[in-house]
Amino acid sequence: MNDLTEYVTLISSDDFSYVVLRSTACISPIIRRMLDPSNGFMEASTNTVHFDNINGIVLEKVCEYFYYNEKNKDAKDVADPEYASTLLIMVRKLISVSFPTELCLELLMAADYLDV
Amino acid sequence: MSGRRGGNTIRGPRSALTDFLAANNISAQQIRDDYQRRRQEGEEDAGEGASAQAPQQDDDEALAVAAQAEEDEKQTKKRKRNEKDAIDKIKKAKASKGGKGKKKAKRGDPDLDDDDGEEYEDEFNKKARPAPGQFEHCEVCSKRFTVTPYSKEGSDGGLLCTPCGKEFTKDLKKEQKAAQKQPVSRKRRKMESEKLDGVAAGGAKSLVQLCINRIAQHHDDVEELGDLPENLLDRLSAIFSKKRVMKSKTLPLFLRPDLDAVIVHDAAYLEEEDYQQIFAVCPNMRKLALSNTCQFKDASVDYMLERCHNLQHIQLYAANLVTEEMWHRLFQEAGSKLHTIKLKWLDAAFEDDVVAEMAECCPDLERLKLKLCRRLGEPAVEHIATMKNLKHLSLQIGNSVSNDTLIDLVTKRGSKLSTLSLDKFIDADNEVLQAIHDNCKRLSKLRFSENDTVSDAGFAALFTNWSNPPLTFVDVNSTRDVDNNNPTGPEEVIGVGSSGFKALMAHSGPALKHLDVASCRFIELSAFIDVFNGAQTYPALEYINISFCNKVDTSVTAGIFKSCPSLKQLVAFGCFDVQDVVVPRSIALIGVPRAQDAIEQFGVGIGVEEAIGRMVEVGA
Repeated sequence: MNDLTEYVTLISSDDFSYVVLRSTACISPIIRRMLDPSNGFMEASTNTVHFDNINGIVLEKVCEYFYYNEKNKDAKDVADPEYASTLLIMVRKLISVSFPTELCLELLMAADYLDV
Repeated sequence: MSGRRGGNTIRGPRSALTDFLAANNISAQQIRDDYQRRRQEGEEDAGEGASAQAPQQDDDEALAVAAQAEEDEKQTKKRKRNEKDAIDKIKKAKASKGGKGKKKAKRGDPDLDDDDGEEYEDEFNKKARPAPGQFEHCEVCSKRFTVTPYSKEGSDGGLLCTPCGKEFTKDLKKEQKAAQKQPVSRKRRKMESEKLDGVAAGGAKSLVQLCINRIAQHHDDVEELGDLPENLLDRLSAIFSKKRVMKSKTLPLFLRPDLDAVIVHDAAYLEEEDYQQIFAVCPNMRKLALSNTCQFKDASVDYMLERCHNLQHIQLYAANLVTEEMWHRLFQEAGSKLHTIKLKWLDAAFEDDVVAEMAECCPDLERLKLKLCRRLGEPAVEHIATMKNLKHLSLQIGNSVSNDTLIDLVTKRGSKLSTLSLDKFIDADNEVLQAIHDNCKRLSKLRFSENDTVSDAGFAALFTNWSNPPLTFVDVNSTRDVDNNNPTGPEEVIGVGSSGFKALMAHSGPALKHLDVASCRFIELSAFIDVFNGAQTYPALEYINISFCNKVDTSVTAGIFKSCPSLKQLVAFGCFDVQDVVVPRSIALIGVPRAQDAIEQFGVGIGVEEAIGRMVEVGA
């Protein structure tokens, strides 16, 4: 593909798809490299990345985190998400990401894999 | 307990009311029935129940009884009202304490005649709260218990027995705590502390960090850590140690049979069985690093020697209960494979002849760190000088070591060394530096700190025309003359001074990553300005510590920002001439004092040029 689409698709191991802004997905250097057309990966041409080792619930939290991160990129004083009182799921207004503790270990492995 | 009358309405000790009614031949049941009837008949006159309707009895009798009943009723009503008020008060008090937030409408003392009916209605509409002293069934567990003024109310309005009540308040308190917002100041302090630790450099925290924090928070509930990669395991164990929850219970989380290295940053709570467990579960480990291992005893060492035959790297800090013979045995049995030995804080044992044993039994030793081992002295250094394969040597020996021994050490081993750290050798003199100059050709990390004998000229001589490639790590902190009677220092500058500093930067500038010249207070301002002049760049420099070099001022900081594009941290405690600094993006400035400033200031998303521009404006 010649020009980069604004949105890319991330697919989990159990076939849930998440369509997110390219800029947010590229917070993860792994994804950024996969989607970079100059590397010649298949993912770059289809603008889709398939994760065999991350399941749907975890991938959803990861996507939420992408938006949270981009929103707070330049902020100096970001409140710890555990202390944030509300979770707004409107994509543009995401101000915090909180996750259930049970998800923690799997999320940690996924985060380490994605280096995010 | 006296016998009860026919009915089952009142359980437990007989109340005065019951006695009274009984004595006057009044049936409470009957009164209730009458009232119900009355309520149904006269809906919302708020049932002015003041005038009791005549019970179904003979007229005369009825009248008499009615009159009597009326009177009695008034009294019982009054009594009931008093009781109800008392109960209301208790309820209100509980409501304000218990924090459920139920707002009971404040019921002032009702007029005798007016709101009787309403109250009664409300009271009879819901189950009356038994007075203290009576029995009631617990809402949760249905056990019978005696109502007291302190009995808690459950979530459905019923009462709870004492144990259930306690559980209930505990849950309530937990909820409250979780819902409460943390005070702002504590949040900021925590954030700043984390930034000093290098955890978050601004912007949002990484997801890995968030997860690790959450796990550390719930360390009690973690049962198993699954297949986490080793670096994550290490970070997690570091956080557990920091929060002081690395105990017998949590230790097994970090032990897996396939682990290559076991690293415990704070083993203070671990005891003998825990060490046994470590060696039992991970017999194939190659690296063992235990800090604060106060309970590490001979038996554990014995077990370790028995189980772990692949040990190559040992790091034991504060293992003070290991005896002398055990150290000998350790090196005799495991020494042949050892590549790394790092020991700190040994006060009770570990004498010079153990070092001799070490030198003899560990021919492949490459890394040696001996710090704060109180019993070591000059002979130890002599023995170390015989270790042929040493590449990294780090020494801090409290007892005095003569210069000749040091020179001998450097001369013999210098050519292979890539790390040399001589900490607190107060009397080492220029000749030692000369030896380093002559013999060390491949050093990359050099520390020569806390010394007040070597002169500035000595340092300059070291770094001038030195065939060693540029160093990546230099730490010369606290090399200065310490004399209270002569604060400005002697004529001939002792320690790193202007010429030494300039020579240092000229030699190692291109490759230097870490620079520490703290407390080298005789370096002149002109030297700093010369070195950090903005035109010359030091591309690799990431960490600079110029604390207590009080000649530094704001222009030096500006120069540093300009000259060091990769800078991440600048530590400048005690530099009182540095003021009004505008910090560029991704740089952390630590320690610049103004009472109203934060201790750390972080770049807020502006570029270096802009930051310097603003500083110049302010300064001008």
